[in-house]
Amino acid sequence: MSARRIVGGARPRRDAVDKVLGRTRFAADVRVPGLLHLAVARSDTAHARVRAVHTARALAVPGVVRVFTARHVPGVNRYGIIASTADQPMLAGDRVRFVGEAVALVAAETPEAAAEGARRVAVDYAPLPAITDPAEALEAGAAAIHDRGNLCFEQRIVRGDVDAGFARAAAVVERTYRTAVIEHAYLEPEAAVAWMEDGVLVVETSTQNPHYDRSDLGRLLGVAEERIRVVQRATGGGFGGKLDLSVQPYVALATWLTGRPSRLVYSREESFLATGKRHPFVMRYRSAADGSGRLLAVEADLLADTGAYASYALAVAMRAAVHAAGPYRVPAVRIRCRTVYTNRVFSGAMRGFGTPQAAFGHESQMDLLAGALGIDPLEIRRCNALGPGDVTVTGQTLGDSVGLVACLDRVGAVRDRWARRLREPDGVPRGLGVGAMYYGIGNTGVSNPSTARVALDPDGAFTLFTGAADIGQGSDNALLAICAETLGVDPDRIRLVRGDTARTANAGATSASRQTYISGGAVLRAAGRLRQRLVQEAAQALGVPAARLALEDGRIGPADGSGTSVSLAEVAARCGGGPVSETGGFDPDAAVLDRATGQGRPYGTYAFAAQVARVSVDPATAEVRVDGLAAAHDVGRAIHRPSVLGQISGGAAMGLGMALMETFGPGRDENLDTYLVPTTLDVPRVTPMIVEQAEPTGPFGAKGVGEPALIPTAPAILNALAAACGARIHNLPATLERVQKALRGEEA
Amino acid sequence: MPVDAAPVVELSFTLNGEPVTVSVEPHRSLLWVLRERFDLTGTKEGCGVGECGACTVLLDGRAVNACLVLAPKAAGREVLTVEGLGGPDALHPLQRAFVDGHAVQCGYCTPGMLLSAAALLQDNPRPTRDEIRAALAGNLCRCTGYTQIVDAVYAASRARGWAP
Ligand code: FES
Ligand code: FES
Repeated sequence: MSARRIVGGARPRRDAVDKVLGRTRFAADVRVPGLLHLAVARSDTAHARVRAVHTARALAVPGVVRVFTARHVPGVNRYGIIASTADQPMLAGDRVRFVGEAVALVAAETPEAAAEGARRVAVDYAPLPAITDPAEALEAGAAAIHDRGNLCFEQRIVRGDVDAGFARAAAVVERTYRTAVIEHAYLEPEAAVAWMEDGVLVVETSTQNPHYDRSDLGRLLGVAEERIRVVQRATGGGFGGKLDLSVQPYVALATWLTGRPSRLVYSREESFLATGKRHPFVMRYRSAADGSGRLLAVEADLLADTGAYASYALAVAMRAAVHAAGPYRVPAVRIRCRTVYTNRVFSGAMRGFGTPQAAFGHESQMDLLAGALGIDPLEIRRCNALGPGDVTVTGQTLGDSVGLVACLDRVGAVRDRWARRLREPDGVPRGLGVGAMYYGIGNTGVSNPSTARVALDPDGAFTLFTGAADIGQGSDNALLAICAETLGVDPDRIRLVRGDTARTANAGATSASRQTYISGGAVLRAAGRLRQRLVQEAAQALGVPAARLALEDGRIGPADGSGTSVSLAEVAARCGGGPVSETGGFDPDAAVLDRATGQGRPYGTYAFAAQVARVSVDPATAEVRVDGLAAAHDVGRAIHRPSVLGQISGGAAMGLGMALMETFGPGRDENLDTYLVPTTLDVPRVTPMIVEQAEPTGPFGAKGVGEPALIPTAPAILNALAAACGARIHNLPATLERVQKALRGEEA
Repeated sequence: MPVDAAPVVELSFTLNGEPVTVSVEPHRSLLWVLRERFDLTGTKEGCGVGECGACTVLLDGRAVNACLVLAPKAAGREVLTVEGLGGPDALHPLQRAFVDGHAVQCGYCTPGMLLSAAALLQDNPRPTRDEIRAALAGNLCRCTGYTQIVDAVYAASRARGWAP
């Protein structure tokens, strides 16, 4: 009977014990005898033709076994997580496009020899003009970074009569906002190890998407997918940065071509230099409201620097555009988001895919409109908030799971309590600010299914097979809870096989806050089918109609508790003795957006959230302290409450970093000594509030929370700062210099 | 064969309560020795420059960044890693509190966090939350936002029967 309390419960996570004991082996901890150690030689120039790569001096280093360049890549030397824009070579061919691009791979008997070999690779470059500014990249006559030009992708959303909206507005606000390049800075740098096993290349790695890894490794090596097995190891955070391939192609190539095991672990410096970043945005916003604060029109032009390669640029452009006007009823919009190539390290996915950047824009605009009209910032959000049955800017009619007003109310209560503590006679500027968001769960405007399998083993225990990568956020735990609840067993009775392309079906990426909703949906269906089959089998054994039977605590018997029951082991034996398994899938109801207008149904469901921040500013140093953060999130249904709280707290911390400190300078920031991320001293105790507006298509009503957690934080902090300083900061992060300016009453 | 083969030194110290001896090149870090020579991979490398705290171990009871400690510095001293903190059947109260308090997400920062917290509780068995935050300031976590970690350390310090 206890099984019924699994969903919504708070049991300790299964992986926690091994992790606190230090027993969990991450990819860098895997020990394989006879390893080749790898090092990558990288470009020190931002844009150049490669005339020649000289490897003889590297090969001469004692201990160096092989040196690989582009010409050794057996398959198609081009990868990318979105197939239609895949454009990144694993080793540069005739061109390098950013400082840090891989040019050669050295395999050696020791890490020292590999590193020395990499240092001795000499490249003959013919320099090309390097472009570092996306606006410049779009100018006529700018050097083309790729043959298809410098515009990587453009998404437009057009709806309603924008000009009429502006014509009858009581208030119009027009501003430009900028955000910074941000590094994921997961604590575990990229790592992979590979070996050959019965003719199959095995790659164990830190990843958010083992099935994608396998398919692109297959293309790079020119090998059928069946010859490659990718296993996701415990992964030390991802936040979008481990969706792209990083180290995997190098171990795969070295092992495939030499037959020997190999390992590559990035140093933090290499992780900073060579892996994807959050897109920096320049955003011009124009927003109009009537006298009561109702939005009439929003015009937004977003320009994002995608760096040297496409990675997730297409998805970022689409998602930023769809969410650019915020979680509000807006009758007319003209939105454009362009992602543009430059000669900077590539930008890819990072928690929110452009939505956090856009939220800084739309939430600053909401406060400015509120100020212009003399309306309370919460009130203007409430009167525009999307509700059940409302229509979004893409023309999608929302269902019932729209908890934004509830989130605003929860946050409003905290804000009012905090407001009483604001006025202290110490001359310290203090302020409160709110931010709100909505976020589509799953990939934008495309099918993105997940498949799961659940088996009853001969011993009466179950095994759940899922390809969903748990990168620390706790999807294992959520999927086990969904499975256990459906099967009426304790989760401890369920074995888990996860993230192994040889044993699990494709669950799609751990991204877009999609695994609980989509893979959870797949698990729900697989477990439901299995339950049905087992109950039918038991019905025959017991001679009782299936409708009267229930599966509870490992036995199937009459739901009313009368009469005899059978154990699952007996049912398994009746089914032939082998494992009995069922497969289930779920694909959210999403459809492609119209190319010209962006109209359509991009997502099956949306999460909603509002946060309030309380800040104080040291009048002498301009140092900002976030004294309080309260975050209300409509997650549909919390499958595991502590995990949801952990996501909210962790997301808010990352949002705080985006607001106040994080900005990656290529060439300047090589490690965590200069690139600062929030510490225990920066992040206040986060007050999380869970709102549960059940989503009918979600497992037990669940939606998602991973990315939403971060999105309203920077807007709330920046709005609080504007309230504290009396002037607004339009550029992230809010550095000391910018805050000093704001304290002087200047816009920054 | 290392390119710049250095002479090795013989090094004896106490590792998780056991006396050990190992020959290493003197430029090696304690982190490298623990991971590569003793296969104690619970101690993590996150930055290699003393900024993240993932490599935190206790050296004579004090929390240090093992990536910054040259191996010879451990000679004759006591080193405690996460593997020596508790066992599967006898979790250290901090480990118990991290599990029960959901203070573990990806787990990469966890060993370092536990050892910094253990050092704190040795000196200050009943710390305030602010004292906990100060003691963990050198340990980065990118997943949790620290809320559940600070709460777990607090809970461990208040747990009945707990004596550091
Ligand atoms: S690895 Fe030692 S402090 Fe980061
Ligand atoms: S739990 Fe992932 S870094 Fe702390």
